Parts: sequence; structure tokens; C-alpha cells
Amino acid sequence: MASQRVPSVFQSLPLRKRDFHNFPCLCSCRKASTFNGMTELSEDVDPSSSMQIPGPSEEHLASFDPIARSKRRKRPLPSSRYKFRPPKYYRGPLHPHQPPPPTAPESREFIPGPFSLPRLQQTYHSTFASDLLTLMYTHHPPGTLPGPSGPRLRSWDGSSPYHKNRPLRPPRGGPALPLLRRPITFRNIPRLEKIHVHSFVKEAGSDSAHLHVAGMIMQAITNVRATVFRAKHTIANFNLRKGSPCSVGVELRGEDMYNFLAKVTEVVMPRIKDYQGISGKSGDSNGDIGWGFGPDTVGTFPEVEINYDAYPSKMIPAVHIVVCTTATNDKDARLLLSSMGVPFYGKHMN
Amino acid sequence: MTRGHIPFQRLASLSRPSTPTCFTCLRQNRPASSAAAPLDTAPVESFPTHRAILPPTTSQPHSTTYKLKASVLLSRPPLLTRHLTPFEKSYFLYQRRLNERLALPFTRYFYYQRGTPGEIEWKRKVRERKTPARDIGVYNAYGSEGWNDELLVGDQVSEPEKQLESLLKDAEVEVKERDIQGEAKVVKEEVERPMPRITEADKAGDMKSLNRALQKTLFLVSAERIIIQTGGVNMNTWVVGNIPIGHQVYNYAQGVANEEKRSVLRGEKIFFMKARILAGQANLKDNQFGLEDFQWLAKEEIQKAFHPRNWNAVKNILPER
Repeated sequence: MASQRVPSVFQSLPLRKRDFHNFPCLCSCRKASTFNGMTELSEDVDPSSSMQIPGPSEEHLASFDPIARSKRRKRPLPSSRYKFRPPKYYRGPLHPHQPPPPTAPESREFIPGPFSLPRLQQTYHSTFASDLLTLMYTHHPPGTLPGPSGPRLRSWDGSSPYHKNRPLRPPRGGPALPLLRRPITFRNIPRLEKIHVHSFVKEAGSDSAHLHVAGMIMQAITNVRATVFRAKHTIANFNLRKGSPCSVGVELRGEDMYNFLAKVTEVVMPRIKDYQGISGKSGDSNGDIGWGFGPDTVGTFPEVEINYDAYPSKMIPAVHIVVCTTATNDKDARLLLSSMGVPFYGKHMN
Repeated sequence: MTRGHIPFQRLASLSRPSTPTCFTCLRQNRPASSAAAPLDTAPVESFPTHRAILPPTTSQPHSTTYKLKASVLLSRPPLLTRHLTPFEKSYFLYQRRLNERLALPFTRYFYYQRGTPGEIEWKRKVRERKTPARDIGVYNAYGSEGWNDELLVGDQVSEPEKQLESLLKDAEVEVKERDIQGEAKVVKEEVERPMPRITEADKAGDMKSLNRALQKTLFLVSAERIIIQTGGVNMNTWVVGNIPIGHQVYNYAQGVANEEKRSVLRGEKIFFMKARILAGQANLKDNQFGLEDFQWLAKEEIQKAFHPRNWNAVKNILPER
């Protein structure tokens, strides 16, 4: 039966049959570089594509006017036709009325963006990434792969019978294990992950205006609404009471992060007089580098500078900036940042 | 030193029997940090004249050796951002208009004091474009027609050139002056325009200029051996790292037997070092190898200029842009 049915299928599809004969050696002739689309894959795949359909005609384009059409309407559309209001509260996965994902524009949590492709991001991908790979790459010829690294936790010396079955000793200097540096390949070239901008406002306890000014400046220079942090403990020396607002901070990712770092390295840092750069000792030895700017420098951010009179000059805060990279040690993170134009001085510590 | 940090020279000696030519080649080239070997032409070094056919079978087989060479891929990184794809253009404009609809209103009096010339300018500009954003066209996000945020077919608002024009228009300031007769007139202050993305060298098709194809990485294509000996001292270059980024194996048509060492020179292995040009320009005036011409080419132009054998060796180590 099946063998009889096949020819009839071919007769009903003359076009495909001809296509099939145009590629007599489907399997043997195909090369990766000469892939001509779906027609080559199989005769069963429909070669027609929605991309080949011609667009709307000229008359249709000329007559298309959504504003005029909405004005022609006698009565307004029922709002249920075009308005969707997501539920105000999430009532669990079994509730019939589920909120849309935060990426949907109708969601209450939707944040628009990105709005552009930042220059620093493009430069990283076109120039820095491949240079960093060349600089950090360690070649292991076949047969000379490094063996497993030694044990990271120390063992007990066995001088006491109570050492038996004890968990291994933590590393010297503290309980935390440092991150391992994996060999750098094209998959794990260090890149920027996020930037924290943070400002502790000392006077916030006595006068909350300082906190408001700090929040506005933070929002102006980073393009992100600042979060207010509250004191965790009561510290009399710092004039802190537990639960009182004491600082503002911002976490930058993606487009905002690249724009902020480019602004800092190209506009703000060159204007600082006698600027040495960032201390080579900065960093948490896990690939995160931090530095600070005083109130004078914060005042030179272009967004603050054009409107400097609007801020009370005594309330302009100092900020701390922490750049988190995907590098696992400070040496690599420093190399990444210095390729992006951040200067370092002094002895470089890991 | 771990085993992973074997220097390049030692690596070469580890992987094959010691060949004096390799070391002379490397020693000549490395101290200048600018070693180079021919990319698109035949090897510069003359072939040994005593070319012998391999003995068919001997009691002790000959070991196979390769002549090691180092070459430089000298490149100029892109200076400009790339062109956006049509999808990216429309997507970014769509997101900007969405943002305009969802963001809080512009805090006008925080930036422009009442009654100042700045406020008058601001009023005039907003009356024209209906929105504080400068590069999303005429669009009122808060009005009753704010829903109409999509572009019609053929609308140029999402084009970066149009957005540049609107930004320039926003930057220019109208100043009211009184001339000698006391009549008020409006004078527009011109704004300096950015340089065009397409340069004179692009228009003239000048392949030797470094001011061409600013969006792309350019590579120096010439039959060069050592940068300073060919391109002159007028180039500020930086060799990126100590590690080659690729290699090419070039087999001779016939191996060259060396009876003393009982080895056969099978061909050449060329290792490519990555280098960037930071300033300057190549100058073949005093080159020691009789070179006549050079070009700065982008990746797709290299494909046309190169022999397929050489192109296959370098195509995967050249960046796309």
C-alpha cells in the first residue's frame, strides 16, 4: 500500500518533485558552507516561507491611518477590548487570573529597555574581549594537561586520636575558600557583571534632607532610582539607630552599567586634578574592584554639573563604586578595567 | 612554574626534535617583538638547493621536522560603533516610546527656573515635539493618542541619522538680539556637527589609509617579515601577549632530507602573533625586503586578496567586525 501511495503524492506535488531532482545527491554533496536553506534538507519541508510574502500594497499603506480610523468610530471601543489590567496581587499558581511575566509591557513590574547599544559594550565585544583572551590564555599542548590541583582543605596531622573522622581543616586565615581561577577560554572571558554605587549619608539621622539630595544625585548620575537602606544595628558613634534610614544605593546592570563606567572613565576621572587613579590594592580578591569619589568629584558628573545650583552644595554626597566582574581574581579584573580606561597606581595586590 | 606556563620557545623544542633553523628564526624575530613572516606570498627565505627525493626505506627512519616561523597579524580596532540592524532600530525606538509612556513626568522646574531664558527655550521646543525626549519624534505619550506609538511604514524616526538631526536641532539655541536700529531679530547659534561616519578615504577607496572603514577592524596586508624592517619606524605597535593566536602548516611539495641529522624537513609552521597599531602608518620606503605595496583591509576584503590556502589559515582568528 505504502509503496503505491508514494508516487501519487509526488504527482500531486510537481513543484517539490522537481526540486528534489535538482539536488540529486542530497546527502553526499552537502557541505556546511553551502547550505541553501530548507529546500535542501528534505522534500517534506515546505519551501515557502512567510518571509517571502510581499508586504502591504501601496494603496493599503496610503489608506492606513490609525488615528483617523479611531476618530471615525461613533462610540468608543469597550475598554475590555484593548485594556488588560494584570491582577494587583499574586494569588498563587492555581489561581485562574495569573499575572503576565515582567517582560510583558502590560505587566505591573515591566521596566522598559534597553534603549541603545552602548559604545563601551560594543568596544568590549569587538576589541577588548579578544585581546583579553590572548593575554590570559594558557596553552596546554596535548598530553601536557595540568593534573588535578592539590587538596584545598588541610587535613589534621593525626597527633590526637580525636582527629579521626573530623571534617578537614579550613584554610589559613579564615573560613572562606578563595575562588578558583579556571583556565580562560573563549567561553569565560572576564566581563562586567554589575556596578554598585553606594553612599552612606552620615547626617541622615539628624536631617533627612541629606538623604533626599543623595538619592536625587544618585538617580541623576546613574539613571536608576536609588534604594534607601536602613541601619541594621544601633551604633552610637555613627549616630545610628536601628531601623533608621542611613544610606542610598543603586545596582547597575546592562546598558546603564556600561554608560556609567564610560562616563566615569571618560568625563569624570580626567577632570580630577592630580589624579593618580585607583589603588592597586583595591579589590576583594574575587574579581570585584571598588573605589570612592568625594563630594567635589560627584559635583563634576555632567548631570550634576549642568544643574549644580539646584543641589545644596553642602549636601552633595561622597559615593562608593564597586565594579563586579566575572573574573575570579583581582588581577584579571584589573586587566579588564584598565582595558576599559580605569587607571591603577601603586603596588598591585591580588 | 606550572606546566601550563611553558614559554613559547621551550614549547617548540618540546613538541618536536630540535631544529636549529627554528631557534634562529625565533631569536631573530622575538627581541624586536615584531616578528613576521609572509602571509600572502611565497616564503621569503630561499629554499635549500639540495632538494633530494626521500629515500624509500632505510634501516633507521628519518624524523620529520618543520621549519618554525612567526608572523604578525597587525590590526587596527574599530573606531566607531557599528550600524544598527533594522530590527534594533525599531526595537530601541519602541522601547523609548514605551518608556515615555510609563515614566514619571519630566521635573521641569527642577531644571528650568521660571521666567529664565532657558525655560522659554524649553517651552518652544516642547511645543514642537510634544515630549521631553529629544529623539523619539513628535509623540505625546500622555495625550489621548498616546496609544499610537508605532511607526507607519517608511517613517524615518527610528533612523540614527534622523535622531542625530533632532539632537542637533535641540542643541542649537535661538538668541533674540536687537540690531542697530533697535529691531528685535532672532539669531540661531550654530552647533558643531560630528564628523561624518564615512571618511574621505572611504569615498576615494584609499586602501592604504587608516582612516577608512572606521566601524571595522583593519588588518595590514603585506608581504612583511618584521614590522620595523618593512613598515618603518613610524608605527606605534603593541604585540598582544606572548601567545600565538593561530598557526598555519605549509607542506613543501617534496620534503628536504638532511642526512647528517637523519631528518626530513617536511614544510613550515607559521605561528601568528596578534598586534595592534596604536598610532602611525606603514612606510615601505626603507624596507629591506623589496616590498612594493601594502593595504589596510577589512576581513571580507582579505578574503578576496588572499590565496585560499592562506585565507583558510587565518579566517577563524580574525574578528567579524
